[in-house]
Amino acid sequence: MRKILLAAVILWGVFAPSLQAEEVRVSASVSKRSVQVGEEVRLSIRVTGQSMNLQAPRLAQLDGFETYYTGRASHISVVNGVTSANVEFSYTLIPQRAGRFTLSPVEVQAGQTTLRTEPLEIEVTGGQSQVPSTQAAPQRVATQPSRPAPVAQPADQNQTYAVSPGTDDNIFVQAWVDRKTLYQNEQMLLTYSLYTRYDTRYEGFEKEPETSGFWIEEFPMDRDVPRETVRMNGKRYVKADVKKLALFPTAPGNYTIQPGSLKVSIREEQQGSNAFDEFFSDSFFTGGAFFARRQNRLLSPPSIQLVVKPLPENGKPATFQGAVGSFRLSATLDRDKVKQNEPVTLKMVIEGEGNIETITRPKVPTLTGFKTYDGDTNSKLFQTENVIGGTKSFEVVFIPKEEGKSFIPPLEFSFFDPRQEKYVTLKTQNFPIQVEHSDQNFQMPQELAGNAIFQKQVKSEGKDIRYIDEKLPEVFPAHAVDLVYTTLLWGDLLVFVLLLVLWMKDRQDRLFSKDQALRRRKTARGTASVNMNKLKKLANSSNEEDTAVFFADLEKAMIQYIADKWNLSTYGVTRQDLAETLTTHFGADSELVKDVFALYRLCDEFRFGKGSIPQASKKIGLKIFQDTVNRIEKVRK
Amino acid sequence: MKRLACFFLIALSFAPAICAGADTAALFQEANTSYRTGDHAKAAELYESLTEQNPRVAVFYYDLANAYVRLGKLSHAILNYEKALRLDPRNADIRENLRYTRGLLEYRVEDNRNWYLKATEVVLKYATEREIYAVVLAVLFIFLTGGILYFFSGRGTFWNPWQQFVFVVLLLTAFVAFGKQVQSNMIRDAIVMQKECEARYGPSEHDQVAFKMGEGIKVFVMDRREDWSRVLLTNGESGWVKDSDIAEVKV
Repeated sequence: MRKILLAAVILWGVFAPSLQAEEVRVSASVSKRSVQVGEEVRLSIRVTGQSMNLQAPRLAQLDGFETYYTGRASHISVVNGVTSANVEFSYTLIPQRAGRFTLSPVEVQAGQTTLRTEPLEIEVTGGQSQVPSTQAAPQRVATQPSRPAPVAQPADQNQTYAVSPGTDDNIFVQAWVDRKTLYQNEQMLLTYSLYTRYDTRYEGFEKEPETSGFWIEEFPMDRDVPRETVRMNGKRYVKADVKKLALFPTAPGNYTIQPGSLKVSIREEQQGSNAFDEFFSDSFFTGGAFFARRQNRLLSPPSIQLVVKPLPENGKPATFQGAVGSFRLSATLDRDKVKQNEPVTLKMVIEGEGNIETITRPKVPTLTGFKTYDGDTNSKLFQTENVIGGTKSFEVVFIPKEEGKSFIPPLEFSFFDPRQEKYVTLKTQNFPIQVEHSDQNFQMPQELAGNAIFQKQVKSEGKDIRYIDEKLPEVFPAHAVDLVYTTLLWGDLLVFVLLLVLWMKDRQDRLFSKDQALRRRKTARGTASVNMNKLKKLANSSNEEDTAVFFADLEKAMIQYIADKWNLSTYGVTRQDLAETLTTHFGADSELVKDVFALYRLCDEFRFGKGSIPQASKKIGLKIFQDTVNRIEKVRK
Repeated sequence: MKRLACFFLIALSFAPAICAGADTAALFQEANTSYRTGDHAKAAELYESLTEQNPRVAVFYYDLANAYVRLGKLSHAILNYEKALRLDPRNADIRENLRYTRGLLEYRVEDNRNWYLKATEVVLKYATEREIYAVVLAVLFIFLTGGILYFFSGRGTFWNPWQQFVFVVLLLTAFVAFGKQVQSNMIRDAIVMQKECEARYGPSEHDQVAFKMGEGIKVFVMDRREDWSRVLLTNGESGWVKDSDIAEVKV
């Protein structure tokens, strides 16, 4: 895009001097020489052979005319290397009285040169008695190509539009509805009209309108928004309808529509009288003023109050299902001869203007000789001018169960016509059909599964208690909870005990790790018991070698036990050390001390004696050891 | 395999003898046949003996209640439906028949209790005591096992986030179990067995009549004095009735 623009600028730079060098001509013309009072006349001033950088010429005060500048159009063409350019300024003249008038020459400033047009003569005859007042707004002065408006402009627009104090009255937006009192489900048109005196670009909606309680259809807008020039409060504005919505209120009541806010951007520099000039050049809504600095504006029209009337109850047909508008009904049957259990399809088409999307299938009467199914439903929506309409078609599939002559009865469709303010009921025709015999069994058409219109409801015929249970409960399931409960109870108990043991052991380990003497003292008995068991085995042996081992181990076991109890070194301890320790705790005359020494003597006898030791000595030794351990445990745990 | 067999033997040892008893099965068949053939009095008698022999089998209470409905003894029917519901609280047939039978009663009592009391009752009545206790024990087992795993693994801390979570669940289930315990053993519900029963302002015949109620009405026993019980209705009324006029729902 930038490259194209750059090329255009360079091209302009190349051709501009040659254009300026060419001869400049100016001419004036009017669309008609003879008009009636109040009839518009278009005055065109054309400048050729000059660049487009011209100011719009000011018309001298024309006596008997009201004049408005309505824009400019530029055109540059290059043919066989020859460039030509022309600019046309347009004005609208509205004669105020009858007579013959001469339009004085119009001056055009082209660079240093001032050019003048030829004088023009216009004859005004008396015709329209009503001369449009300049204060009666809006008044169409010049119209760009636009659609005719089939709906009346809002009443407010025929009055002076009030602009809030402190706001810019050169640009504002009006949201208006074509009616403020309407029926439920009746269409209403909401239009957003932008009025501006600036070079303006419409950017879209910043905040969408709040229209809860309405079914909405938006009218597609043209890329080039149609616009027109109007006068309001004595000022000229360009007006453009930027958005149109068809609203259908779904429930009666008083509604307030918050129209939201729309975003526009305007050129920041003041254009004075040239604003309209730029406005009608290529800049408006087309981005012609691309390089200009723009300022964003948010425009919020005031809220709109509506009264939605409920549909009249009087005369409401039983077949009425909420359709409001103006509709036509047609129906066709795909065939009039069928076999039993073969489908025949009735197609109904509802066409017209109104809330077509919300129309539901006309009620199908209960037919005893048929199975009835819903078929396809299609709808097509279109906008005609300012009205939403469309077609909606319904298919109903009938499957005759009995042979013979039959008929599809008329189906009724009712709607409320808000223009006539009354309900209208339309009927399809009566379709006779001939049903031939067939042995073919009924088969549900797959595509219609679940679409049955009539199905018998399961309903209670009477009340009574439910029957007795004649089955005995199974053994396992009936008592599974009891079993799980009991198992868990024992399991929990077991796990709890285990946890307690583990906790105590952990606690003991922690204590022992801090106090080694305590650990030895507490485990001394256990160690002694282990040694005792070994000694018992050796004592039972008559083998001499085992006897030697027995006495050696007996002495060691005793030493280890006493050393553990008093935290003495097992390897370095002497009998003297043991004697001192025991004497300290039990006294020199203690039986225990004596027994311990008796044990040592017994061990010495075997070690140093030459005779054989009787078997009884081993038992004595064992007994002394056991008694010693028991006695010490009692006093030193 | 031996362990599995052992497990099943233990399992079977917990099951009541009714299921294995041929006599019970025969008696049950006979009761069913009586009911089917329209001899509801005999059926009721047989079902009654079955409930006495096997007081923890819901089917017997349910069938007995059905027989009583057929005999028109609505208070007896409701009492036995309530008992059946205690043993099998999620049985739709019992609930439906109880609702139906209540609809046949002459008297109706509005339930004006607070919504949370009603909701608590509904929730707690959805499970038996044993079922709720089993859940508590299962959660406790998970909690204790978590502790053992901690001691065996020797890693982390005992009071880790998982243990904290299980402990919270344990507290919640214990709370529910406590509620069930209160409902089952402290709030003693009873059924009015007399055709018409007078509730008085005090526990004697001399006290003024507070209100009257008919058979089948469910009451809550709040207090006992000799042969009288103070009962509370769901509409908030309370009064003293003779013990012989009501029967507690106990299995």
